[in-house]
Amino acid sequence: MTTSFDMLAAGDEIDGPEFAVSRESIRLFCDGSLDYNPLHLDDDYMKGNFGKTNFGGIIMHGMNNFGLISRMLTDWADPAGAVHRRLETRWLKPVRPGDTIRPQGIITSKQTTERSRWVIIEVLVRNQHGENIASGEAMVEFPHEAQPR
Amino acid sequence: MLQQAFETDFWKDANLRKVWDDIMPGVARKTLPYVLTRQAIELYCRSVGETNPLYFNEDYALASRYGGLIAPPSIHILLMFACTPADDWMRTPGTVNAGQSWSYNIPARPGDTITLQARALDKFIRRERLFVVHDNVFFNQHGEVICSGRGHTIRPK
Repeated sequence: MTTSFDMLAAGDEIDGPEFAVSRESIRLFCDGSLDYNPLHLDDDYMKGNFGKTNFGGIIMHGMNNFGLISRMLTDWADPAGAVHRRLETRWLKPVRPGDTIRPQGIITSKQTTERSRWVIIEVLVRNQHGENIASGEAMVEFPHEAQPR
Repeated sequence: MLQQAFETDFWKDANLRKVWDDIMPGVARKTLPYVLTRQAIELYCRSVGETNPLYFNEDYALASRYGGLIAPPSIHILLMFACTPADDWMRTPGTVNAGQSWSYNIPARPGDTITLQARALDKFIRRERLFVVHDNVFFNQHGEVICSGRGHTIRPK
């Protein structure tokens, strides 16, 4: 069923795609994003300490989370004629090869401004253990002239 | 426009990059114009599992409200590195991304020449960690804002 602004309510959930993280997926993200930071490539480098933190091996790019959340929001908004307008995230735990992650959105409020309509969404990403590995907030605009397709 | 080959070894120019002490909030970072290709969009899309035909299927995209192929909003992840030179401090090995926020205006499209205005906005030390706040605005060849965003990085010591 196509989403419409009027039908949405606080507490409604948006399910995102499951994503299996592997050394290959991380390498592909290096190529796709041009971010070749050794944090994501070099196991020997990652044996070292980063201040008080030791990651113990390569980690997924934080922005891979961001891309997954953005994909979830765009694919949810677009069929309704709505537009993904903003995303803010922070990373809570590192993600490693072998993890499976999935983003989710929860609508927290709807706002009507002078010229448009907005849905505010709490976003989070969980791993296979149910741990929150990223969190944030998003805004999707439902223009008055929005036409579902 | 000739685009230089991208240096994937981030150690290579490490000695040329600014360390936390050198980074001056308010000073513009050096940036490079970048022609966004369909191939680059598709590679980025594959890396996050994008399947929306707006990014891949020309006929579908032509009939959509966008009137042609577009890039996904998060393409700025690629543009951040594509539009900056090898000595940019964002590439310093060990740079940890602590979070970002982005606002989206219009989509980037294949064939666009993208430019970036970027700078450090703030820097501070918290819990013995060296932070730099960066802010960024991407434009297309018509001077239209594609997206704008800021983020926190933790700098290697």
